[in-house]
Amino acid sequence: MSVISQSLAVIKMNVLSLPRRVWMSLAMVLAAAVVVAVLLAFLAMAKGFEATMQSAGSEDVAFFIRTGSAAELNSTVTKDQVNLISEAPGIASNDDGPLVSPELYVIVDGIKKSTGTEANIPLRGIEPQGLAMRENFSLTQGRLFTPGTDELIVGEGILRQFDGFELGQEVRFGKNRWTVVGVFSTGGNVFESELWADARVIQTLYNRGSSYQSVRAKLEPGASLQSIEQYLKQDPRLNQEVQSEAAYFATQGESLGYMALFGRVISSIMALGALAGALNTMYTSVADRAKEIATLRAIGFSNLSAFIGTLVEAMVLALIGGIIGALAAFALFDGMNASTLGGSFTQVVFSFELSTDLILQGIYLALIIGFISGFFPAWRATSVPVAVAFQSRG
Amino acid sequence: MKDFYLVYKNLTRKKLRLFLTCFAIFIAFLIFGAVTALQGALNSGVEMSADNRLVVFNKINFTQPLPYAYVNKVRSIDGVEHVTHANWFGGYYQEPANQIVTMAVAPESYFEVYEELVVDPQQKASWLANQAGVLVGERLAKVNNWQIGDRIPISSSIFSHKDGGQTWDLVVEGIFTANDPQIDTGYMVFHYKYFMETQSWGGDYVGWIVLTTEDPALNEQVAKAIDENFANSQAETDTDTEKAFNKAFIEQIGNIGLIIFGVVFMAFFTILVLVGNTMVLAVRERTNEIAVLKTLGFSSPRIFRMILTESCLLSFLGGLLGIGAAFLVVRFLSEMMARFLPNLVLGSDILLQALGYMLLLGLITGIVPAVNALRLNIISAFARG
Repeated sequence: MSVISQSLAVIKMNVLSLPRRVWMSLAMVLAAAVVVAVLLAFLAMAKGFEATMQSAGSEDVAFFIRTGSAAELNSTVTKDQVNLISEAPGIASNDDGPLVSPELYVIVDGIKKSTGTEANIPLRGIEPQGLAMRENFSLTQGRLFTPGTDELIVGEGILRQFDGFELGQEVRFGKNRWTVVGVFSTGGNVFESELWADARVIQTLYNRGSSYQSVRAKLEPGASLQSIEQYLKQDPRLNQEVQSEAAYFATQGESLGYMALFGRVISSIMALGALAGALNTMYTSVADRAKEIATLRAIGFSNLSAFIGTLVEAMVLALIGGIIGALAAFALFDGMNASTLGGSFTQVVFSFELSTDLILQGIYLALIIGFISGFFPAWRATSVPVAVAFQSRG
Repeated sequence: MKDFYLVYKNLTRKKLRLFLTCFAIFIAFLIFGAVTALQGALNSGVEMSADNRLVVFNKINFTQPLPYAYVNKVRSIDGVEHVTHANWFGGYYQEPANQIVTMAVAPESYFEVYEELVVDPQQKASWLANQAGVLVGERLAKVNNWQIGDRIPISSSIFSHKDGGQTWDLVVEGIFTANDPQIDTGYMVFHYKYFMETQSWGGDYVGWIVLTTEDPALNEQVAKAIDENFANSQAETDTDTEKAFNKAFIEQIGNIGLIIFGVVFMAFFTILVLVGNTMVLAVRERTNEIAVLKTLGFSSPRIFRMILTESCLLSFLGGLLGIGAAFLVVRFLSEMMARFLPNLVLGSDILLQALGYMLLLGLITGIVPAVNALRLNIISAFARG
C-alpha cells in the first residue's frame, strides 16, 4: 500500500472516530474558535474605523487650518484669509466661482442611544460650494437647509446612534432651536457623524463674527500642494498650513490604529495560552490511543501514515474551531454600529467590518494552531517503539 | 506531610502536561491582570472624584465658554462652599503631537476646591507671586524631566499670544502631588488673569466653573439652583457632579471599551474552561491508583483532600506566576506610557479578584474527580481497569 492511501485510511479512521472522544475534540475546537473570534473582533473594529476615516478624505482636496492647531476644532481663519486662499494657484472652479469652502466646526451635545448620556457631536457650518465639493453627498430624506434659517440636516450615522434627530424634529442646543429638515449620506464616511447647517447662521449664533475655522479647496487636475505651500509662505497675512484632506483624516484616525495593535498583541498572547491547552488535549488524546496507533504500525502501516493521520485530525478539529469562531465573530460583530471619540474630540460613528481577507487571516491562525498542536503529539506517538507502546497502560 | 509528597508526585508525573497546563493558566491570568489594570486606569477618574464637587458647563457643550460674571453669581448661591474656574489652553510642548494638559485657573481658589492636591506652601507662595509662573503636576514633571525654576515654552493649538506667535514662556514655580496615587497629576495650571491679558482675542469668559458644596446631600439642590438661575440667559448652564461628568466623558469612548473588555473576559474564561477540562481528565486517568490507595487503607476524605489540594496547587502555581508577570508588565507600561495613560496600577483589589478566580478554578476542577474518588467503589474500579 502506498503512503498516500495508507494515510488516507488513517485520516478517515481518526476523523470518523472523533465522536468517541467528544470532550477532547470539543476542547480543541473551542480553543481554536476563541482565539479566532477574539482576533477577528479587534480586526473588524479597526477595519471599520479605518474605512470610515479614510474614505472621508479626498486626495484632490486641499485642506487649510491654522498652523499648529492640529484639528479643525482649534483653528481659525478670517474672512480676508479665506479670500486670499481662494486666489491660491491650482484651485478648480465651477460656474459659481472657485471651489473653495470655508467651514465652521462647533461641538454640541446629543443623547447617545446606547448609554442615554450626552456625547459630543460636531455641528458643521457649510456653504453651497462645500456641498458641491463633496461628490458622494446625497440627501436620503427631506431637503437641504435654506440658507439664513435655523434649519439643519443630519448625517445617517447620527440618526443611528443618537436620539431626537429624526426628520421634522426640533432640537435645542442651549437656547438655540433648530429644525431637522433633511438626512444625508456621504457614502458611510466620517461626515455622516455630523450635523450640517448654514455657516452664516452659526457665525451669528456662536459669536464668530465673520471668521471660519477651516477651508477646503478643490484642486485642478495636476495641481500640486507644494505651489500652494509656497503661496502661503510668501504672504505674511496667512498663518495657515495646507495638507491634502486625505492626509488630515489619516492622522485623525490614528488613535484607533493603536487599538488594532493592542488587539493583535492580546490575541497573539491568548493564542499561546490556547495553544498550550490544545497541545495538552492532543497529547492526552494521542496517549489514550497509544495502543491503537501501535497496532496500526504492527500490522504494517508506515510510521509516516500514522503521523499524518494524527496531524490531520488535529488540523481538522482546529479548522472546525476556526470556522465556528469566524462565524460567531461574523454574526456578533459584522455591521455592528459603534461610536467613539475621534481625533477632534467628537463622536465618530462607524460599523465593524469583517471582510473576507480578515476571515482568511483567522482561518490561517486556526490552521497554525492545529498544525503545532498535532505535530508534536503525533511525532511522539509514532517514534515510540511498537513493543514499548504495547506495554504502556492504555 | 506524606500526603503532600504524594500530591507533589502526582502533579509532576507528567512534566510536559504540568508545564502546558501551568502555561495556559499563566497566560489567562497575565491577560486578566493587565486588562483589568487598563480598565481601572480608564475608570479612575470616576472613582477618584470628590462627592461634594460639582462642575458647571455651558449647556451647549463643555467646549463652549461661560461669562466670567457667572463665577460670582454661583458663589452667592446657598450651599456653595468654594468656587473656582478654569480655561482649556490646548497646550503642547515643542511639537503639536506632544500635548500638555494645561489650564488657566483662578490661582487662590483652585487648591481650595481640589483639596486632594498637595503643594509645598513656599512653592505655592512663589507661584502666586509670579504672573508667568506655572504649577506642574508630579507625573507631568517626571515625564518631561522639568525641575523647579525651569523656563518652559508652552504653545497653544487654540490661542495666539498678543505679542505674536502661539508660545507662552512659563516658569515652573512648583510641583504639586496628590494624597492618593490613583489621582492623576499629569497636567499643569497657570494664572487665569495672565492668560486673559496676554492672549490676542481678550475677552471675559471662563471655560467652566468648579465648586464644592457644604454637604454632598445638597448637591442636587445646588445644581438645580444654579441651572435655574441661568435659564433663558445668554449662556444656559448644565451643572452635574464631577463623578457624573467624568463617567459621561468615559462613555464617549463608547461601547468600544465595553466590547473589548467583554471579548477579553470571554476569552479568559474560555481558557480556564479548557484548562479545567484537561485537569479533570488527568485525574480520571488515575481511577486505578485511587482504588489502590483505598485498598491500602487511605480514608476517602483523605483522598478527597489530596485531589483538591493538587488542583488548587496547580491553579495557584500558574495563576500567581501569571498575575506576577502582569504586575511587571503593568509597571513597565506605566513607565512607557506615562504620557497617555495615567494611574495604570495593578492594585490589591485586582490581586484579590485574581486570587478568588484561582481558588475557584482549583476548586471547580478538583471537585468532580474528588467526589468521584470519594464515592469510588474499589471492586468496580479494579473491574473497570
